[in-house]
Amino acid sequence: MDIRSQVCMVFHLDKCIGCHTCSIACKNIWTDRKGAEYMWWNNVETKPGTGYPTKWENQDIYKGGWEKNGDTVSLKGAGKFKGLKNIFHNPHMPVLDDYYEPWTYKYEDLFTAPEGDDQPTARPISLVTGEHMDVQAGPNWDDDMGGSPDYARQDVNLVKLSAAEQESMFQLERMTFHYLPRICNHCLNPACVASCPSGALYKRGEDGIVLINQERCRAWRMCVTACPYKKSYYNWNTGKSEKCVLCYPRLESGQAPACFHSCVGRIRYLGVMLYDADKIEPAASVSEDQLVDAQMDIYLDPFDPEVIRQARLNGIADSTITSAQNSPVYKFVKIWKLALPLHPEFRTLPNLFYVPALLPTMATVSNGVYDSTSQSLWNGVESNRLPMKYLASLFSAGNTGKIVDVMKRLMAVRLHRRGVTVGDLNSAEISTAMNEVHMDADTANAIFRLTALATFDERFVIPPAHREESIEMLEATGDVKGNTGFGFKETPARGL
Amino acid sequence: MRIISKRFLKTNSGKMASLLLVCCFLASSASVSAQDGAAIFKQKCSACHKIGEGKFVGPDLMGVTTKRSEEWLFKWVNSSSSLIASGDKDAVAIYNEYNKMAMPDQPLPDTELKSIFAFIASKSPGAVSASADTVKKSLPAPDASLTATAEQIEVGKNLFTGSNAFINGGASCISCHNVNYNGVIPGGLLAKDLTSVHSRMGGDAGLMAILNAPPFPAMTQAYNGKPITEQEIAALAAFLYKVDKDTANQIVSAMDPLLYGGVTGAFGLFVLIYLLWIVRKKNTVKKDIYERQVKSI
Repeated sequence: MDIRSQVCMVFHLDKCIGCHTCSIACKNIWTDRKGAEYMWWNNVETKPGTGYPTKWENQDIYKGGWEKNGDTVSLKGAGKFKGLKNIFHNPHMPVLDDYYEPWTYKYEDLFTAPEGDDQPTARPISLVTGEHMDVQAGPNWDDDMGGSPDYARQDVNLVKLSAAEQESMFQLERMTFHYLPRICNHCLNPACVASCPSGALYKRGEDGIVLINQERCRAWRMCVTACPYKKSYYNWNTGKSEKCVLCYPRLESGQAPACFHSCVGRIRYLGVMLYDADKIEPAASVSEDQLVDAQMDIYLDPFDPEVIRQARLNGIADSTITSAQNSPVYKFVKIWKLALPLHPEFRTLPNLFYVPALLPTMATVSNGVYDSTSQSLWNGVESNRLPMKYLASLFSAGNTGKIVDVMKRLMAVRLHRRGVTVGDLNSAEISTAMNEVHMDADTANAIFRLTALATFDERFVIPPAHREESIEMLEATGDVKGNTGFGFKETPARGL
Repeated sequence: MRIISKRFLKTNSGKMASLLLVCCFLASSASVSAQDGAAIFKQKCSACHKIGEGKFVGPDLMGVTTKRSEEWLFKWVNSSSSLIASGDKDAVAIYNEYNKMAMPDQPLPDTELKSIFAFIASKSPGAVSASADTVKKSLPAPDASLTATAEQIEVGKNLFTGSNAFINGGASCISCHNVNYNGVIPGGLLAKDLTSVHSRMGGDAGLMAILNAPPFPAMTQAYNGKPITEQEIAALAAFLYKVDKDTANQIVSAMDPLLYGGVTGAFGLFVLIYLLWIVRKKNTVKKDIYERQVKSI
């Protein structure tokens, strides 16, 4: 066993209202710079939809992530031969138009335009060229399924659905959507790190945050292509690639990352999980239907004395182990089995888990009457508005059993709480639902509490950073003992 | 008492030794003169110049120290080309006389130059006695090359083109030089064309002198520590003589193999690149969306 600690995340999609506050918080802190205008380290997508950058999930286009190669995995679009072949011109790399060309407006014209018959207008100006441009797309042009024929119907996850199933999703009375907020997954098996020819990317030893060393980055942009989630971005101004840093300066001072902190729906949870690094390669190499289970096996029980002993041997601080025991992510992912990784088939073992949305049931139109009532308050999960196959394509590499399981658990909690707070349901119905997923009332109440009433400290269990210890992983601190303590900072040659 | 004197002796001998060292040092530094000049002359000048034995690659230097002012000589040796460019009459005259071939710059420290001049003066009997008449017009070329066998020429050719490497690992001539000779691919343009070098540089003797101790800065660097052996020089001289002699008979090929080979190769490479990357993302993924949007307006 090689036990390490990893900062993991859960996004509860049932609570996401798609307000983009997280995206704005991130933009204001990190990407409000020249060259970074088009980047959204945090973005919120509407599903079904094509996302940002457009069609990012389609690895036939972008060649991101890993593919199974016998007993192990190999990078889909990088590595020694493929990387060298495309190192000077990578045809799979997203271009600016695949994201969108960032723009502002020439507001000054509104004030300085001479008097005339028409209202003055502020024309859009490209933030890249500084010239007038015709706005063609934005980072969430398909927000709330806008322009569906172009976007929602092009969703890559629809491929596995039959034509009839696809068609039924777009009938007015059955139509539905939900939001999918995305940040860097800080994967256990990061393709970006594996692909970098300069060795500029690394996974921090103490908490597993994946970072790009701005001094070593040589702008090969292999990470941009290799990341299947397209969460590494190239800054054309500095000539370096950048990505979500999980607000590590905030984490180190005990604060939640900005997008977590600002979340209006309080959908985000953050906590440490202990995992066994020896299991990464086997877990990434199993067949697709076992990927979720194999990944769940990597994360260890922080209450197990043997795990605690091994973790201490590996230099994990007691405070981190305590954080792992209190981690809300551990509860959602391992104990309650409610959260699933996004696109596990990319085989990067992402550390951001999603509780799928328990969407409203379907309505029918009969004799021109729109009827959304059903026999009971909620129909069974199989008649969910979004087909299980669609959700399985998102969260379980096509394994619908996993999704149905999660949905039934969520439904059991909901029925139980309806019974507690309103009491209008048949108790037999509630106990059937609870028994089916082997859930007791205490667990259901605990899930309800962490879902709906959790305080700040329950949602974000941030381990103390122990910077004084983690720095010793990188350098011998004795070397600088007796120095002034200020050091010096080199700016990159091309400026920041 | 005995001990004290012994200690005294000891310290005294130490002082004596250091004094002796200082004396030696002073003596050595003081004698920068004719005998140093001889060594430097042999190393730096003798490839092209002789003293009293007549014109070689460059002019005979007998009496040059009296013929020209020391200031002029300094300028000439440091950079003859800039002196010629400045329009100095004597300099231009020499330049024209020697086939418009400027002497390579020899930026030596003043002290070394002075010692060379001292050496030349010591070898020049009587002032101004070395007039043009007393100097033999040119060295008769010993020219073993005239009788060189075909095998020797072949050896020289292989050394020139790099088919065979120099024993001491020096770079092949073709890396920097070109000759116009059938069966030899066009060589480098980094240095002079060597087609007529045999007659231009004073026959076998001149070539031998130059190849023994190259006086040109770039060539000096290139062959530093990798000298060309006697046999190699003889073979090269034989080859270059043959090249020089046959100049008129050469068919200047219109098909430059490098140029046309390069063009064909590049074309082949483009085809290969096209085939290797035939499956690739050629447009932005939003192209369809844009087009449909524009159409719907």
